[in-house]
Amino acid sequence: MKLTRREFNLGLAGTSGLALLGASGPARAARNNEMNILCWEGYNTDEVLQPFRQAHPGASVKAESGTSDPDMINKLRAGEVNVWDLINLNQPWARGQLYPEKLIKPLNKDRFMPYFEKMSPDFAAPYPLAFADNGDLIGMPQRYGPFSFVVNTDKISREMAEDQGWNLFLDPAMKGRYGVLTYDNWNIIHMCLTGGLDPFKPVEGADLDTFRATADAIFGGAKLLTDDLVAMNLALINGEIDAYFTGGTYTASPARYDGATNVRGITPNSGPVDGKGGVVWIELTSAVNNPNPSDLAEEFLEFVQTPDICKAVAFAEGTYNPISQMGNEEVMAKFDSDELDAIQWDSLGEEMSRSLDYQVVASYDKLNELYNAAKRG
Amino acid sequence: MERLDNKLGMLNALPIFFVLMLSFLAPLIVVAAFSVMPQKVFSLFNAPDFSAYMTIVEQGYWRSLVWSLGMAFASTAVLFILCWPLAFAMAKVFGRFTLILTIAVVVSLFVSENIRLFGWILTLMKGGLIEGHLRALFGTEMDGVLYNVPVIVFGLVYVYFPFMLFPLAQGISMVPDDARQAATDLGASRWRILWEIDLPLAAPGIVVGSLLSFVLAAGALAESKLLGGQVVIVMADEVETAFTYGQDWPLGSALSMVLIAIIGTLAIFGVSKVDLDRIMGRKR
Repeated sequence: MKLTRREFNLGLAGTSGLALLGASGPARAARNNEMNILCWEGYNTDEVLQPFRQAHPGASVKAESGTSDPDMINKLRAGEVNVWDLINLNQPWARGQLYPEKLIKPLNKDRFMPYFEKMSPDFAAPYPLAFADNGDLIGMPQRYGPFSFVVNTDKISREMAEDQGWNLFLDPAMKGRYGVLTYDNWNIIHMCLTGGLDPFKPVEGADLDTFRATADAIFGGAKLLTDDLVAMNLALINGEIDAYFTGGTYTASPARYDGATNVRGITPNSGPVDGKGGVVWIELTSAVNNPNPSDLAEEFLEFVQTPDICKAVAFAEGTYNPISQMGNEEVMAKFDSDELDAIQWDSLGEEMSRSLDYQVVASYDKLNELYNAAKRG
Repeated sequence: MERLDNKLGMLNALPIFFVLMLSFLAPLIVVAAFSVMPQKVFSLFNAPDFSAYMTIVEQGYWRSLVWSLGMAFASTAVLFILCWPLAFAMAKVFGRFTLILTIAVVVSLFVSENIRLFGWILTLMKGGLIEGHLRALFGTEMDGVLYNVPVIVFGLVYVYFPFMLFPLAQGISMVPDDARQAATDLGASRWRILWEIDLPLAAPGIVVGSLLSFVLAAGALAESKLLGGQVVIVMADEVETAFTYGQDWPLGSALSMVLIAIIGTLAIFGVSKVDLDRIMGRKR
């Protein structure tokens, strides 16, 4: 093919035009007409977002759900602080990484402190881990849940599982009868507790050997590993396994709400840290340190604490979870008995009292290394 | 005149060439740069060290590499044996039926890989479609067949089936019938025709199909996670873990670079052995 001068000039003109278009840059919308939230599934559903959009016509309200805390943190680290206004994560990340690295900013205490008064007793004090060391309020708690392990109560009774606690998984009779849900950061905490160690204090010396041996034993006896809670529940219901390591209300509730009430989250009766062996996760929703912040962010944070939206958040698609606002009678009235049974409301109080707060794991890097070596086999 | 024409053509292509180079290479360059950063940093403005590569050597990541490459090799071999007769029939025997078969295979790609694999879980698990029916009919309880290495290879074969089938059919269609007939007339056996006519002349299709399936299978993750219950940890899994739970971008990048280097070398070696222009139809 011959290229004529005319064709060459046309190409050149086209390219220059495109270049100019690129250089002009995107038109910036006023940020108060926009609110973006990066969250665990639930806050991104139409039940939650649509009423907020109706209350703010003309505003662009977007939500994206992540698949793990670290995934979402990676987005902020990779420069998306300019994009997001709110981030919803399990609480240790906010205190341990996001706030020290200035990826999130403190909330207005005058505006949000009164909300703690209407929360469940565990949070009304107010909940201490919603604050940074300097007293700044760094996020609002909403969804939470005990998170230790899950059994099929048709095969292993609740009482036996609670009494045995983590030792259940070291019992030779359990070899090949349980799965490991690969929420790695959780498994590291739980393997420490199984080995009689405090995960939230530095793990050193001989304790590292204990951790390694525990991780080897847990992975060695596991029939399957997956990070998919649906696949894990399915294996439990179909009798492939009788229990799974790492799980709780969050993972058991979808199966329970579907009628499989023999799937039950278990919190051990005792454990190595102050006599406690269970752990509880509590989500905090924090304001991202966006250089061009939107006023809608704090408004949304108030909005999700109204009774109807509380219920929508607790029973969003995917998983069902208790919320701190259930201390408020108006919120509590929104739940029926099946829903309360799905989130194990009958034992929630006692499970919470036997659970440690999910905190930053002091020796995470070293333990993660040993954990992954054990997982590799 | 022709030289000027070439020059103008090149100049004209230059801008889009740079855009393409940037979009293809920039992410790779960032990954390569991160792989030499000190561990656990989140910025490229650090003095490079190669500690992430040292970690790979010291901490037994070779096991995951061997599993990934081994299962990719096994699935490619199975795919080749499985697809050859079908591809041959598509290219030489089926005629119009080939179109229906092509559509049937392509339609399966419209459904997400994870959903298709989940379908297999429901089929193969204990109490699933197969075991559940057998139990109901014969009253014998069996274990499911999930959570082992062969079922992962099965998953890879299932998912990457079209990637072997179509290049292979294309390759086989290039084998002239005259050559096969001449060999038969000269008394060659079927095996000899396969060995000396079909395989060498269809080589470009074989190489393209094998490379596609091997490269995709070596980087696959869902099969080992869903069907295999992570009974072995594959390389892609290690990369994901390093970037997420490990919060160690340099380690994740270094693991990716190792996989890219190995697969890239194999791909270049494979492609250099065959005449790709022929399969693209540019040379006759």
